[in-house]
Amino acid sequence: MIIRVNNLVKRYGDLVALDHLSLEVKEGEIFGLLGPNGSGKTTVINCILSLLKYDKGEIEIFDQPMAPDAYDIKRDIGIIMQNVAVFEELTVYENIDYFCGLYVPDKAKRKKLVEDAIDFVGLNDFRKFYPKKLSGGLLRRLNIACGIAHRPKLIILDEPTVAVDPQSRNNILEGIVRLNREGATIVYTSHYMEEVEQICTRIMILDKGRMIADGSKEELKAMITLGEKITVETFSLREEQLSALKKLPNIVSAEYRDHLLVVKSGKGQNNLEAILDFLKRNQITFGKIYSELPTLNDVFLEITGKQLRD
Amino acid sequence: MFQHLFTARLKCLTRDRQMMFWTLLFPLLLATFFNMAFSNLNNTEAFHPIDIAVVDNDRYRQNKDFHSVLEEVSQGEDRIFNLTKTDGEKAEKLLDDGKIKAYVTVGTEIGMTVRESGLSQNIVRAFLNSYSQTSSAVASIVRENPASVRNGLIEAVSDRGEYTREVSGSSAEPNNVLNYFYSLIAMSCLYGGFWGLKEVTDIQADLSQRAARVNVAPVHKLKIFLYNMCAAILLHFSEMLVLLAYLYFGLKIDFGSKTLFVLLTTFAGSVLGVSFGAFVSALVKKGEGVKVAVLLAVSMAGSFLAGMMSEEMKYIVAQNVPVLSYLNPVNLLTDALYSLYYYDIMTRYGWNMAAVCAFALLFCLGSYFMIRRQKYASL
Repeated sequence: MIIRVNNLVKRYGDLVALDHLSLEVKEGEIFGLLGPNGSGKTTVINCILSLLKYDKGEIEIFDQPMAPDAYDIKRDIGIIMQNVAVFEELTVYENIDYFCGLYVPDKAKRKKLVEDAIDFVGLNDFRKFYPKKLSGGLLRRLNIACGIAHRPKLIILDEPTVAVDPQSRNNILEGIVRLNREGATIVYTSHYMEEVEQICTRIMILDKGRMIADGSKEELKAMITLGEKITVETFSLREEQLSALKKLPNIVSAEYRDHLLVVKSGKGQNNLEAILDFLKRNQITFGKIYSELPTLNDVFLEITGKQLRD
Repeated sequence: MFQHLFTARLKCLTRDRQMMFWTLLFPLLLATFFNMAFSNLNNTEAFHPIDIAVVDNDRYRQNKDFHSVLEEVSQGEDRIFNLTKTDGEKAEKLLDDGKIKAYVTVGTEIGMTVRESGLSQNIVRAFLNSYSQTSSAVASIVRENPASVRNGLIEAVSDRGEYTREVSGSSAEPNNVLNYFYSLIAMSCLYGGFWGLKEVTDIQADLSQRAARVNVAPVHKLKIFLYNMCAAILLHFSEMLVLLAYLYFGLKIDFGSKTLFVLLTTFAGSVLGVSFGAFVSALVKKGEGVKVAVLLAVSMAGSFLAGMMSEEMKYIVAQNVPVLSYLNPVNLLTDALYSLYYYDIMTRYGWNMAAVCAFALLFCLGSYFMIRRQKYASL
């Protein structure tokens, strides 16, 4: 086991930030911690890294208890902070070299690792640039390079794509998958469900410091009753027709607003066919039709009763 | 590891332009301004001969004794007066034009005319009084005992022998201007606190994300802090050497003959300043702006009380609140430097340095106890 957190409790005064949280991360996983802002994602990361005191619980990394002076464990961990954590006075190369040097004292060995990290994040053309001359996306890449240059076995990324443009975001996500393919175990926190769905092999959803769901994205979606969401563009739908539609088998809910009929159906087959058949029978004209599978937001909504980004 | 962290830290510090300005250029600029402002201060305090006139009439010419005495004190480098002989009308005009402070008229009595009162006029009056009293005493004695002239009366009266002996504690001349420059050096030492402040900010995970990243590395944070402090002290001491060189070679400020001790004092001041900044940063649990404000307030208040803005303040504090003199690091350093310049014996310097070292030790230990924790209650 790469990380084992057992029954972790962290309080800030009266506020319970982590409420008896347990989690396990296995070797080779991309483990996603998903939750809205304030759900406890960063707090659990800081506890795992032994930066934060906690009130109760145990944390093991590489099957050994984690502590501030557990240097053998720390040597194999790479951290990418939520905010860019580099020195403004050092160039791109010097920043990566500095942080790598905290893990790898040998100068010759370090030089190769730094070059590899620069290649990996694509900052070759910017190696002599100071951070203030870099764009937001390039800065994030530098932030990542500083965390991975020493080739850690466990890489923790705490919301690395906040305030990053879509192109850089894709670049970062592809890089994370590549790191995983090269053997690193990844812990990835985010409140962007699309990112977590895209790259994570296992996802834990947090809310108010508690784990509310855990599994692969398919397993999470299987936990809820929603099967699919069907949206139909239609120009006239009377109230009694909407009521009759809601009584069709396997329909969870139906709403009509701004010429759009949105129907949520439970798991099962032929939901779309049944709805179209109803519209034809009632001579209701319709235009475009969309069908969507449930998202992690739907999972969060069904379990907590609120949107993930509330 | 030491070389890697130390050189990287030196790069970080030397490339911080804002801090380099405050810790290096600002003291140099201030020293230049001080030099411009105080260069004539010693000259104004030195004694300058007083411009007077004497009405050159028959009575004056006949009064051989007064004539010769006045001529004598108006000659040579140590003269008291710049004497102009003229007639009464011209003397009046010279006085009106402010070209002389007073003019002397010899009649039945010796008189003095002035337009205003002041130190110069008092000196002229004291001289004339002294002459009148002495000549009157001689006249009385000769009247009573004419033989006394033969027995050396005139020589005895003329002899201005001193009956007290002046013993100086120093071979150096007192120099009030030096205190301004020494307090500037002391203030610059305290400005090393900016570097100390930065060091704590960059090692405390609850103060910066950079520090959090350093804290998760497999190196003891106090080891990194120690290496970083070494870089900060080396840089700040180098800045202080530049300042000393500028003061000594550029502005010709006198530091006395104990050069090695001046360097030692400056080094101790650097350590004190950097450790003071680290202590303030660890102690004040507010934003960086508040920490800088505290540092500046203490440095400036300390400099003021040590006499950097007005030299009298140093003596006011010493007379009225002496304990403050020993609690003010700027004053301790200023006094240590002045002791090196002025006193031949090292007792006073020793006490000052002991207090400086005690403060540096206190700040180092205080900082250590505050930042030694490795886990934080909140980030």
